[in-house]
Amino acid sequence: MNTRIVITGIGLISAIGKGRRETLEYLLQEKTGVSSIRLLPTKQKELPVGEVPYSNEQLADLASWDINQPITRSALMGIIAAREALQQATLMQGHTKNMAFLNGTTVGGMDITETFYRDEKNKYSFLPFHETGACTTEIANALGGFKYQTTISTACSSALNAVIRGTELLQKGEYKQVLVGGTECLTRFHLNGFRSLMILDSQPCRPFSNDRNGLNLGEGAAYLVLETEQSALERGVEPLAYIAGYGNRSDAYHQTASSPDGEGAYLAMSDAVSMAKVSVSEVDYINAHGTATANNDQSEAMAIKRLFGENKPLVSSTKAFTGHTTSASGSIELAICVLCMQGGFVPANLNMNEQMPESDTLNIAKHTIKTKLRYVLCNAFAFGGNDSSVLLSSEPADLPLLKEIKRAKVVSDKMASDEADIKQYMSAMEARRLSKSMQQLYVVAMEAIKESGLKPTDIDAIICGTRFGCIDYSLQILDAILTSDESDLKPTLFMQSTHNTPASMLAIKTKNHAYNCTYSHCEKSFQDAKQDALDKIQTGMINNALVVGYDEQCEKWQDLMKNSGSEYQPQIRAIVIL
Amino acid sequence: MENLKQQLKEQIISALNLDDLQPSDIQDDAPLFGEGLGLDSIDALELIMLLDKQYGIKIADPKEGKHIFASVSTMADYIMAHSAK
Repeated sequence: MNTRIVITGIGLISAIGKGRRETLEYLLQEKTGVSSIRLLPTKQKELPVGEVPYSNEQLADLASWDINQPITRSALMGIIAAREALQQATLMQGHTKNMAFLNGTTVGGMDITETFYRDEKNKYSFLPFHETGACTTEIANALGGFKYQTTISTACSSALNAVIRGTELLQKGEYKQVLVGGTECLTRFHLNGFRSLMILDSQPCRPFSNDRNGLNLGEGAAYLVLETEQSALERGVEPLAYIAGYGNRSDAYHQTASSPDGEGAYLAMSDAVSMAKVSVSEVDYINAHGTATANNDQSEAMAIKRLFGENKPLVSSTKAFTGHTTSASGSIELAICVLCMQGGFVPANLNMNEQMPESDTLNIAKHTIKTKLRYVLCNAFAFGGNDSSVLLSSEPADLPLLKEIKRAKVVSDKMASDEADIKQYMSAMEARRLSKSMQQLYVVAMEAIKESGLKPTDIDAIICGTRFGCIDYSLQILDAILTSDESDLKPTLFMQSTHNTPASMLAIKTKNHAYNCTYSHCEKSFQDAKQDALDKIQTGMINNALVVGYDEQCEKWQDLMKNSGSEYQPQIRAIVIL
Repeated sequence: MENLKQQLKEQIISALNLDDLQPSDIQDDAPLFGEGLGLDSIDALELIMLLDKQYGIKIADPKEGKHIFASVSTMADYIMAHSAK
């Protein structure tokens, strides 16, 4: 009976410190880690960020990594945070071989790509590091290797989705312990990308404040050891907190904007709370996504108001401490929630000058509040409207028992065709931003759904496997940034550059609010996506799933891969499983 | 002024990938957002970039775009009043 899933170790690194103790000090002293850019080689020095205050050499030292071996900054931070989590859970080197590792990242090795992409002498040197799966593998190998490893890449909800998937694997009884979380370093790629969307504040960010004017980016990593309560008991390890519920839903509204009523956020939080079978009045604290953009905070406030009504849990966003650590934010903030539950306090929502009208009914914690915390909700929302929420409990809490109750069956399996005609599905106006590959994906997905006898809105899960994501736009972004001295980047490119763009596009165009996830782990991306669908269907969590494989035609990338001696076979495919 | 509007329509079509439209499909005074052409927040950002690249006009606050980009006419008026080139 694996209905009780506990957290037995946490480790983190961010702008507010390396490790639990330093992080706790910053939080309790209400001391921000956001300041001017010191390390990232960018022209955009006027933008405040939450930078981890160690150079790559210093990080390598902390990670006991030989700096002569190239490695991404995300992986270095990941190794440091993961070791701390494993140590707290008293899982020694060698033990990881029986565990699963689920890592959330989107940037992957983009820092190395930026350095070598236009270096004619070393133009292939970045290729082994570029993909998100490579970052996960670097961390996994440094920790001694895992029985299973994968990468979830759903932009800013990646790490929280890794927590959710890891929890499910424990519920199913496949593992006794899993390591889950995410890592993301600052890059010129996404700093300029967010800048092109005009949502970066040139001042320290002010979540939920009426004068908020955008977010500050941050970087960092955090991992949690999750295990079955039974395993923790057997090993004599004290649970730090229990996973009481979780939810992931699609806002199905826009690639970069949240819906005004926060539908996806509302559904995700609602799923998490109802899975735990607790009343909304029992939730003590919400660690909000709270990026401090006009749009997110308005939308999230609406969603919280809708779900909690007159019950007013304390709310704060810790992004004014850490900056928005994008793919890592979910696990960094979940780890912060655990620290708060243990320390008996709600962290401050820094820089709140004047409460915004939309949040007048929210109980925002402007300063640290000492209080006992029983149920704590942690939100992470992402581009594409990928909204996730995890509910923690300080006392034993039961999750639904997951056991196989049926066999799943693939009922349609289709490959995209070059002749795909999007016009039968949407107007030219609606299709104008979709690349040819994205149009092919939409058409093949609709054909697969049609053959299954379902309607697009009947689909219970949209899961994508992609090795390189939106590689064509990503290369165009790199070219734009690196040739224009970081001045010239089209927002239309950046809004469609994350790995979860294809799965989100399908949800948005079909108004599907169901579970939405993207796996990006080397050659087995599609396989891992399909396994997620199979697990959910076979345990009766859902009735069906659309699984797509997406690796696009891109001449430049295909040439690079071929000339470097690597394999790349673009393929767009859609299957429906019942 | 008429030349500027015609040029603007061509630039809008190109910047926003409105490949199926002809400049003559866009009325001078028809709303570009909402009920009119149906553009969204990302298009507004693209138009801000267009003003910067083509006319040397910088808009720091995307909220300002709402009035400037109401229609091709309002855009042309704004360019006439602020153009640095």
